[in-house]
Parts: sequence; structure tokens; C-alpha cells
Amino acid sequence: MYRYDTIDKEFVADRAAEFREQVQRRLAGEITEDQFKPIRLMNGLYLQLHAYMLRIAIPYGALTSTKLRKLAYIAKTYDKGYGHFTTRTNLQLHWIKLKDAPEILDHLAEVEMHAMQTSGNCIRNVTADPYAGATADELDDPRVWAETIRQWSTLHPEFSFLPRKFKIAVTAAAKDRTATKIYDIGLHLRRGRSGELGFEVLVGGGLGRTPHIGSTIREFLPTRHLLSYMEAILRVYNRHGRRDNIFKARIKILVASLGAEEFARQVEEEWAKGDPSRIDLPDTELARIRGAFAQTYETLPARSEALEAAKAANPAFARFLRRNVHPHKQPGYALVDVSLKVPGQTPGDMTSEQMELVASLAERYSLDEVRVTYQQNLLLPHVKLDEVETVWRELDAAGLATPNIDLITDIIACPGLDYCALANARAIPIAQHIAERFAEPERAEAVGELNIKISGCINACGHHHVGHIGILGVDKKGEEFYQVTLGGTADDNAALGAMLGPALPAAKVAEAVEQMVEVYLRERRDGERFVDTFRRTGVAPFKEAVYADAH
Amino acid sequence: MRALTANRLDDGEAVFWKQGRWVVRFADAELFEGKDEAETAEAAAKSQQTIVVDPYLIDVIPAGDVWAPLSYRERVRCLGPTNHPMHGKQAEGGHDIDALVHAEGAARSTGRVNLIKRK
Repeated sequence: MYRYDTIDKEFVADRAAEFREQVQRRLAGEITEDQFKPIRLMNGLYLQLHAYMLRIAIPYGALTSTKLRKLAYIAKTYDKGYGHFTTRTNLQLHWIKLKDAPEILDHLAEVEMHAMQTSGNCIRNVTADPYAGATADELDDPRVWAETIRQWSTLHPEFSFLPRKFKIAVTAAAKDRTATKIYDIGLHLRRGRSGELGFEVLVGGGLGRTPHIGSTIREFLPTRHLLSYMEAILRVYNRHGRRDNIFKARIKILVASLGAEEFARQVEEEWAKGDPSRIDLPDTELARIRGAFAQTYETLPARSEALEAAKAANPAFARFLRRNVHPHKQPGYALVDVSLKVPGQTPGDMTSEQMELVASLAERYSLDEVRVTYQQNLLLPHVKLDEVETVWRELDAAGLATPNIDLITDIIACPGLDYCALANARAIPIAQHIAERFAEPERAEAVGELNIKISGCINACGHHHVGHIGILGVDKKGEEFYQVTLGGTADDNAALGAMLGPALPAAKVAEAVEQMVEVYLRERRDGERFVDTFRRTGVAPFKEAVYADAH
Repeated sequence: MRALTANRLDDGEAVFWKQGRWVVRFADAELFEGKDEAETAEAAAKSQQTIVVDPYLIDVIPAGDVWAPLSYRERVRCLGPTNHPMHGKQAEGGHDIDALVHAEGAARSTGRVNLIKRK
């Protein structure tokens, strides 16, 4: 895990002190709300329906036990004892008081955290593969590159007032677990013909009002040129991105209007103007960053007799192994998913007590590491096979072992109209009602992989466009209605979903999902996932099932 | 009929205008029948920059024997999140809260639309 150096520490502590003074000036009336609002947003503090919301940055979703314990403490002391993990792998606290915010930032600074880059038209908190450093299918540890981007991007003076927000995701694995194709910049590590590592650079992905899948603008960028090339992309965007219309200001609109080829040409031209060595990190600095992520493992047998015996004796544990435990690159270890998706509860929410437990498990059983996934779950990346059962028992006792990763109850949902000032409709109750219908683990497992993603407004924090079933809350004359899309995916073959039909009233959504699942179970062929069947049959049978009553 | 609402500056709590001061319970809010008195109150509220943020007028309608905000969004602000019934103003319970929970009638939050236009 990367540790702050002295400069980082002083900088983050200074930033918290600066915000304390700004809050005092606002409370004293020395600055107006119009003057203060951009300042608080640059520190992740939003004003929502019931209180302020603090969005805390978790760079590339990586936490230690110390950090997670601090988040638990903040949630317990300054909030109502819980927090909400987001699709950007950040943590949102929804009941924050303005007067407490400076103290919270002091606490975060103590553990090398902050809330910068979680709002505003800057380069936002960078995300990366949650399996980083632990999976055999990666070419390199993407955290090295994500950390490089973090250091470069935080308060970058040239890129602090972009036309609109800017999000970057990095993966170094064959399988995309980071949804890189829906990012402003998606970086895929590849190996070149000469054996050298480089990035395939995708630009212009994004959801929201105008969803786009990213386009490749460079097949292979040698890794050492990452920062200079990113700078060139950002410069072209900063110069030509639209500032006259907030709905057309994201880079995806610029890339779509110029065409990916012309955009790439302009980036190459910009890149050629400068001297890359001015900004690209020297090998010594990259080696220093890389060193921070080195992990030492014990030499263990690839097979654990203890695990096999427990698996044979306990069907519930066997199911957990099937759904929530994944192969590790190191023999004798595994990655263990911590599900924040108990059917009937709020997706992505975690209590302070649960955070403390996972922190303790990370410390005892996972080399002190925890990851946040964009699916709003946590992950213990380095658990010995011999200890998986113990971890499972402790997670289970705390309601954190639902065996449902990637299943129909592993639903992504934004906070929606229950909390968010931008939302048009609620997302959480819709997720709860759907999950309750499939709460029986046998039933969810029989349905198989099915990603449901729900957003409470067109801004698409819940990634609805790329859900196998996507659900978007809309406001129809003040009433909550939901548009359903089918066939979206956020993986290597990312695709946007297609409309099912007219929007459904809230009370009909869970029933409609059940009807569509029945169609899938009836139509599916061997090995097909819901989304595969949908792509083969098209929308017609699903539409017929859901709207049959209306005919 | 309209009420005047805002979020309190220091803690973000949703508050309602009542004769020159701010109250936490919607049931205690002052209701304005006429356009002039509502807009006079709104103008006065906007000058209270160290007390509240973004005051705006909302439409209210009868809901049983009480008044309720017309828009669902404003009713959520008066109650709290529906996924945590013990969080927010709804935790207090009682007749007025119950009436808001069961209120119907839906339209966009007019005050909010004006706020968006202002940006």
C-alpha cells in the first residue's frame, strides 16, 4: 500500500486547515454561499435533501485497516453510524454538519485520506481493478499507474477548471473489472510485440444524459509516457471542450463530434509539441511507487485440506466459495468478496460496526488490505485458503457474507431521491423490492449472472445504461416512474442497454423484473447468461411478458 | 397555498419559515395564501445568508386534515429517507408525520425548478 511522504502529509493537513478557515468565514457571513459553494465542493461537501453529504476519496478503492477504522469512527461520531460506498469506489456520508466538516477532514488527514477530487470539474479520484496485485490474469499491478495518476492529478493547476468533471480508470488484467469503457479515459495495459508494456488508451466513454462507449485513440502507448500523453489529451479537451452548455461539456461529446480519429490526431499533435521527459516520471520514481505495493506471501500448498473439508461439510460455505471467493495469483491464497447486498437492505451501505469488523479481518487475514469495488462491495484480496472459512463465519455473523456476487441480488443503486438533491426518483426501495423476490440463495444462483443497475436520475451514478437490466427513475409530473433498459454490459464487450418500453410505475418494477427472469429461464440455452439470451432473442419476448396486462 | 423552505447553513437540516424564523417541523410552517406575502417572506429569507441556504417556495395541498407539500421530493425532505424510517424528521412520529407519509398528489417541486433555472 502506498504511504504518503512528508510533502503529501503536510499538503493534506494544510488543506484541512485551509477549509476550517473557509468554513468559519462562511458561518460568519464574510463570504456568500455563491463564493463558498465551489470551495466546499472542492472538498467533497455537497448539500443534499436532509443534510450535507461528504464524499470521501478512496483512490483506486484501496483501504487499510487503519483507514477503514477511521471511516467507521467518522461515520459513528459525525454521521448516523453508517456510510454508502459508491460506483466510483468512494464513501458517502449523508448526515454531515457543515460545522463538523473541518474536524472530519483533520481526521482523514491523520490516516492519509481526504475528500478532494470527489466533486468539481477536475480530474476525479482514479479507479483501478480491485483485484490489483492479487490476480494471475494481470500483466502488471495497475495500482502503480493509478497512484502515478493520483499524484499527478491532485490539484493539478492546469486541470482544476476543466469544461466538466473527468474520470480515469486503469486495468492491467485480461478481464475488465473496472468498467473502463465508460470512463473519460480508460487505460488497458497490453504487452507489445517486443515484450514492452504499454496502454491501449480509450477516450470518451461516459454515461449520463448522452451515454457513449469509449473509443480507442491509441493502440499502444509505452507505459513510461503515460503522464505526457494524458496531459496532451487533457489539453485538447481543455481547449476545445464545450463550456457553453453543461450537458455537452464532457469529453465524450467532443470525441463524438470530432470523431475518434480526428481527436486522436489532435492529441498526437499536442503530444509531439512538448518534451515528454518534462513530465513523464523517471524510472527511479516509478520504482519507488512500485515498491510501495510489494507484498510478501507465505509459501503454501495450492490446495487447502481444511477448506475442502469445510466445503464438503457445509453447503452454505460451499455456495459462498462458488460466488464470493476467487483464485489468487499466489498458491494457497484467495480473494474474498464482502457483499454489501443483503436482500431487503440498502445496496452499498455499511455500518460502523461492520467497517470495524472488516478492518479487523483485513488486519488478521488479508495482509491489512481491503478494496472497494465499483459494484458497491468490498474485497479482502489476500486471504489464506486455510482461513477462508474463519473469515466467512465472521462475515456471516455480521451480515456481510451474502453469496450473491454478480447475481440478481447484487444490485447497484445510487442513493436516489431518499438523499440526493439531483434525483428524480428513489433507487434504494426499487433495489430492495427486487432483491427480496430473489432472496432465496438457491433461486438467485439458479438465475445465474444478472447485473441490475438502478439510477435515480439521468446522471446515471447507478450505471443503469450498462446493466443487464438497467432501471432509470424519472419524474412524471412528480410521480416516480422507471424506464427499463436491457442488454447493457460494463465489461470487455461494453454495450449500452436497449429500451424495453414505456416507463413503469414504482409498484410494477419488481414484478416486471420477475417476469423478465421467467422469460429468460424459459428461453435460455446451455450456459447462456440473461444478457446472452436477451441478445439472441431481442426485446420482443421480454416486452410481451411485462406489458401483457396493458394489451 | 405555499410554504417557504431552505436548508439550514450550519447543519444542512431542511427548515421551514414561520413568521421571520425557521422551524424544523413542516407542521409548524407558515402557509401563504397570497402571492405577495409569500414573495415578501422569500425576499426576507434570502437576506438571511448566515442562517439558511437557497430558500424557495413550495406548493402545498390538503392531505386529510393537514397540509402536505405537493411534490414527492419535498415530502421526502419533510420526513427523511424511506430506507431508514428512524432517520430524519419522521423518527418523531405522530399524526402530522403519519399524514405526510400517506399524502398523495404529485407535481414537480416548483421551487426547485426555479432554483435550477437560476444556476
